[in-house]
Amino acid sequence: MPTTGQILLLILAILLFSTGGLLSLARTWWDRETLRIAAKACLWCGVAVSLGVLLWHMLSRPGGSWIPLEDNFEAFVWLAVLLTGFVLYVQRTRPLGGLDWFVMPIVILLLIAAGVLGKAKPQEYVGTTWYWIHLSTVLTGALAFAIAGATGAMYLQANRRLRSKSLPQGPKLGSLERLERITFTSVTLGFALLTIGLITGLVVLKARGQSRLGDNWFASPKVLLAFAAWVVYAIVLHAPINPSFRGRKVALLSIFGFVLMIGTLVAVNFVPAGGGAH
Amino acid sequence: MQRLLLLGLNHASAPLAVREKVTFAGDARDRAVDALRLQFPQAEIALLSTCNRVEIYAARETHGHPRAEEMIEFLANFHGIDAASFSPHLYQKTDTDVVAHLFTVASSLDSMVLGETQILGQVRDAYDAARERGATGALLNPLFQRALAAGKEVLSATAIGEGRVSVASVAVDYARRIFDSFSDKVVLSIGGGEMAALVLQSFAQLAPRRLLICNRSPERAAELALKFNGQAVPFENLSDHLTAADIVVSSTGASQPIITARQVAGLRKAMRYRPIFLIDIALPRDVEPGVGEIENVYLYNIDDLQQVVSGTMEQRKDAVEAARAIVTRQVDGFLAWHRAREMGPMIDRLSKRYHLLATEELARTLNKMPNIGDAEKAHLEELTRRIVNKLLHDPITMLRRSEGLHGTTSQYLHALERLFQLNPDGDGSDNADGEADLAQDA
Repeated sequence: MPTTGQILLLILAILLFSTGGLLSLARTWWDRETLRIAAKACLWCGVAVSLGVLLWHMLSRPGGSWIPLEDNFEAFVWLAVLLTGFVLYVQRTRPLGGLDWFVMPIVILLLIAAGVLGKAKPQEYVGTTWYWIHLSTVLTGALAFAIAGATGAMYLQANRRLRSKSLPQGPKLGSLERLERITFTSVTLGFALLTIGLITGLVVLKARGQSRLGDNWFASPKVLLAFAAWVVYAIVLHAPINPSFRGRKVALLSIFGFVLMIGTLVAVNFVPAGGGAH
Repeated sequence: MQRLLLLGLNHASAPLAVREKVTFAGDARDRAVDALRLQFPQAEIALLSTCNRVEIYAARETHGHPRAEEMIEFLANFHGIDAASFSPHLYQKTDTDVVAHLFTVASSLDSMVLGETQILGQVRDAYDAARERGATGALLNPLFQRALAAGKEVLSATAIGEGRVSVASVAVDYARRIFDSFSDKVVLSIGGGEMAALVLQSFAQLAPRRLLICNRSPERAAELALKFNGQAVPFENLSDHLTAADIVVSSTGASQPIITARQVAGLRKAMRYRPIFLIDIALPRDVEPGVGEIENVYLYNIDDLQQVVSGTMEQRKDAVEAARAIVTRQVDGFLAWHRAREMGPMIDRLSKRYHLLATEELARTLNKMPNIGDAEKAHLEELTRRIVNKLLHDPITMLRRSEGLHGTTSQYLHALERLFQLNPDGDGSDNADGEADLAQDA
């Protein structure tokens, strides 16, 4: 469970990410190099503060493992950090205008989720090999789906701009082709990881005798939502076979799939049988 | 005292036929800098040569070399041409005008296409080449460095580089917003009008996988195919070409649409529903408006494109004003630095020279007064020092405020140098800093 100090640092990270996103957004009206540098600096500082929180949380945990991925708090902060890392990597290698506008709200929501839902206790099955495989694949998959969701939203916005035929306002969002490619690659990767995550999750449940989710474990919101997300992404991956499933449809489904994925990670915390984001 | 000189020609002063005669292609520019350096070892030299301009920048002593006529002669000799063939197209600038010109060039405000970014790299390249050859020094180094900084600021702080100013470039801009790469794309041109040729030229520069030219006249199709390294295809198989195409440029003289919504909808499956970009620049239109409502089909007609062009031009007015303000500020900053750099040593020499004269005259007088005490001697020394400072105070103050009064500061400094014979080599005084003394007494 995070301490008050850690929560305060988390708030600082949220403020830094928010400032970075706003500064980047401000460049739509006032495109200055200083703004770009300041926005980038805010994101780097946000990442540093988030990593600091993770380290502090890991070290202050009594009898925890050496991997800082033991509870909801750490899982959500990791997702936020990796997502920001993706933004910084893309903007450094081949910039994609407006990427941070679409990703930062997700990052901020993840950090808020870490603060609110991070108080759940670690799972009783923490420490098994299957558990770690399940956890790492599901979280990496969630990261890929978050990227797909963000670039899917960017695709819709870029498509709307093109359809409106108006004078381009604000930074270019990247070509539709590139956005679709990133979305599709992310979904492909995320789907593979989610599949492994679901299978290993079932193995973990079986090993625990389905005690936590009950005898009707297959009807629990967590399993149902995860399966629904899996089905949605399977439809997205169907696009190469049926090309009419491309463009806007892929973008919309990627966003919908990500919402379901977040639902799996977040909403089940409020269901007694859910037992945490893991 | 150093003076700046610029001799050059550009797209506004000389036609292409003249520019191509005096351009420095390949390593010719570097050889030319070496040759100029050899011919005028006391001068600083830089040579800017692009497809739109050839300019020689020189910094030299007031009565030094090269002079304009020597630079013209150099250009003629280097290229082995008659000076009369290009000299009428040359422009010549000095001092402040050189600074303002270079800053304007580096900021792309003097370019054929406002806001193009290539020129900044070309100025940097010209400067680097000259610097590596030891051709730049105390004046051209800061001049080019500040010009590059000004250019960078203009391009990053204003919207001058954004948007496009021709229908063809707007079409390419939209294509870039749909497609990421063009090496795997097929461009189809239907019709062969002048506008289509311009648009096609822009797309040909993107090096698409295939460039199909479809025209009712096979001869015209073959002509355009040859010009743009494309492939002439028969007009009768238009549907097949549409199926293969990613980008379609249409500009026929047909009185009815030649591409209908039903036709395109029927071809979508064969196209595997991939995005298709249609540019209809024909009047009357070649493509039914309904085509643009099909999923993943992006249709732009001449009005759509021209609307963006006019909007961009409107946006650019503000950007150009902002860019000019930045250039003016940077030029003023450089000139202030340059004035301070030139004026300081000149005032120092003036002060030292007159203090030396006063000291010599005082010594001569004191020799005639053998009984004078040390205290009186000190009073007399102080008196002469103060008189010199008082006499010099007004001219120096006026000099500091000289810019724009009746000439440039350089002209005032030059006059001062001549009137008071302030040749730096002839001043052997080692008096205390005269300028500091003046400031103290004033």
